[in-house]
Amino acid sequence: MTGRLTFDAIVVGAGPAGVAAALTMARGGLNVIIIERGRFAGAKNLFGGVFYTHALADVLPDYWERKPPFERPVTEQGYWMLSPDSVIRVMHKSERYQKEPADAYTVLRARFDPWFAEQAVAAGALLITRTTVTQLLKDERGRVIGVDTDRPEGKVYAPVVIIAEGVNNLLTQQAGLIASDLPPKYVALAVKQYINLPAKELQARFGLSGPREGVAIDVFGDATLGLPGTGFIYTDQSGISIGVGMLLDEFVTHRLRPYEVLERFKNHPVVRPYLEGGEVREYGAHLIPEMGYDRMPKLAGDGVMVAGDAAGMVDALHREGTNLAITAGKIAGETALAAHQAGDFSAAFLSRYRQSLEGTFVLQDMKQYRRMTDFLESSPQFMGTYVNLLNEAALRYFTAHGIPKRTMEHEILKMVRERRSFTGVAWDMLKLMRAMRG
Amino acid sequence: MNGDNPMHAVVAIKQVPDTSNVRIDPETGTLIREGVPAIVNPYDIHAVEAAVQLKERLGGGKVTVITMGPPKAAEALLECVEQGADRAILITDRKFGGADTLATSYVLARAIEVINAELPVDIIFFGKQAIDGDTAQVGPGVATRLNIPLITYAVAIEEFDLAARRAVVHRRVEQGIEVLETTLPVLLTVEKEIAPVRHAPLPRLIAAARYKPEVWTATAPVPFDPQQIGLKGSPTVVGKAYTPSPRSGGEVISVAALGLDAVVARAMAVIEQAHVRNLQPGTGVVS
Repeated sequence: MTGRLTFDAIVVGAGPAGVAAALTMARGGLNVIIIERGRFAGAKNLFGGVFYTHALADVLPDYWERKPPFERPVTEQGYWMLSPDSVIRVMHKSERYQKEPADAYTVLRARFDPWFAEQAVAAGALLITRTTVTQLLKDERGRVIGVDTDRPEGKVYAPVVIIAEGVNNLLTQQAGLIASDLPPKYVALAVKQYINLPAKELQARFGLSGPREGVAIDVFGDATLGLPGTGFIYTDQSGISIGVGMLLDEFVTHRLRPYEVLERFKNHPVVRPYLEGGEVREYGAHLIPEMGYDRMPKLAGDGVMVAGDAAGMVDALHREGTNLAITAGKIAGETALAAHQAGDFSAAFLSRYRQSLEGTFVLQDMKQYRRMTDFLESSPQFMGTYVNLLNEAALRYFTAHGIPKRTMEHEILKMVRERRSFTGVAWDMLKLMRAMRG
Repeated sequence: MNGDNPMHAVVAIKQVPDTSNVRIDPETGTLIREGVPAIVNPYDIHAVEAAVQLKERLGGGKVTVITMGPPKAAEALLECVEQGADRAILITDRKFGGADTLATSYVLARAIEVINAELPVDIIFFGKQAIDGDTAQVGPGVATRLNIPLITYAVAIEEFDLAARRAVVHRRVEQGIEVLETTLPVLLTVEKEIAPVRHAPLPRLIAAARYKPEVWTATAPVPFDPQQIGLKGSPTVVGKAYTPSPRSGGEVISVAALGLDAVVARAMAVIEQAHVRNLQPGTGVVS
């Protein structure tokens, strides 16, 4: 083969960010190559399971006709506050969730990601799998002009490279967009199992009327031994996605093994009955970048942009990520199209990507919750103490002991004082409010 | 088939479930295929590599890959194009479904005849067997139908002389290696040693991503004999499939401790007992 392999744009990674970027550029008439290291798009990907459709509708308005492999619409969602032997459930179910397409679906990435990638291929993008990008190629002035891969004759050139490499942001570092590896206090580790159950049985257990209903539950408290983090239980078509996520730091500090935390959660007396008789069909673990707004990489350099997990685009509080990634990928793609039109791939021109993104929920939400990770880290008692307290209070409230109600109220207040003190509670609430309001 | 053209190799491949992590349904005795990735049969990918390396060694030629299977098998063909195949043909039709090795060898042989009529074929490669069926019958069946020499368990092509229409091929046998001289065209079923699979270069991956395999059905462009394909053309009937229970026990008898005679006597006693158990009463063979 003679001459250079040259494309209009290179996308590294066939996850939601990369595919959205490639789809946008291919539809705009660019000759695009997506390079993915897994056996197929999504082979390396994992998430809890709730996918929000608004971002998808933005890049692929007719997505519903293209039959996306969704599991179940989320028609009931909320929180469980789990103490070692009790639970308070705050669930929201509404007729208004019952529409098609719904706002949110449970999704298995091994099914969804290949479908999404197919849409980019149908639009004309070239998808190359089983190939790892090993480094960025730069010209003498340091501008990114292509990538090298682990294949023989593996260099590919393009005036713009969109890095959507995921949480292991080696290329983002190489591009000089972020200084170093993410510190373990800003990375969460989630472990998850997919447990197979017949649809009928699943529906009976979760009170669902049919395949067009589904539940998404985030679990606080004992799911993560009271440490900052969450557990989750999502219903799939004929199975349950169950998992726990905690900051890497917590696993290290408390010497916890991720699968042990998950096993413990699965065996909680409140959780176990839902899983009874199910067969574990899939298990996996994945890192989640939770560095927040202030520690995000620069989003563009000369000839290069970064999107998705690689750029830390995660809203951990609302379990959002794939929608941020898709929206960011789309805007990166649009920026690349504009750059081609202008013939300008400089960092200055590509900084439009960030400017556009500032106008969307992606950066606005990230900015608002910029203190969330720090808040949880600085208030490790938050989850455990309050969740247990609420359960204790509920137990007293709901049982009759033949004592005056006034006495019961005093007991509850005394409990609060003993466990955290009123000033402590006030302080926590103030910090929480600050973290929420940004 | 003559020596005026550049070398033309045909490789027949099969897409199989990756049985390295396959499970058997304990109730039905069949493979659980759900969630099991499909791959090119491991021996077949070496067959493709052998054909491509032969082409490189001769300084040119053409490698055609064929498979019979469901539409999904196109993926397997594309992997062969990545490895260097020039042309890929997917023979697919519901009418081919349920084929045993006899029907499969008919379809492949007929396809190769047609390919040969377009561009004479000098060598045909098969993997030594497929890891899902393990019969090792289809390659030999095709050679028989085409009435050409067959060399099974090939491990090396020592010489390949297109002009003189001869080749020298090494073949694995239990005692070692047999070195055989053959005329061309020849059909080889190959061991993995025939050629190590190389990491395909990026330009080949790009070519494969853009490549669309040709699709042949039961009727077009080649009409296959409806009596010889699919279930109709397959006399094999699977009576029962089951997972054998693991062998039990066994006994270690030490020659050093008991002495040779005692050990032999003990072993004979065990064998005799096993035979008596296996025979119908009253057959009188062992009493």
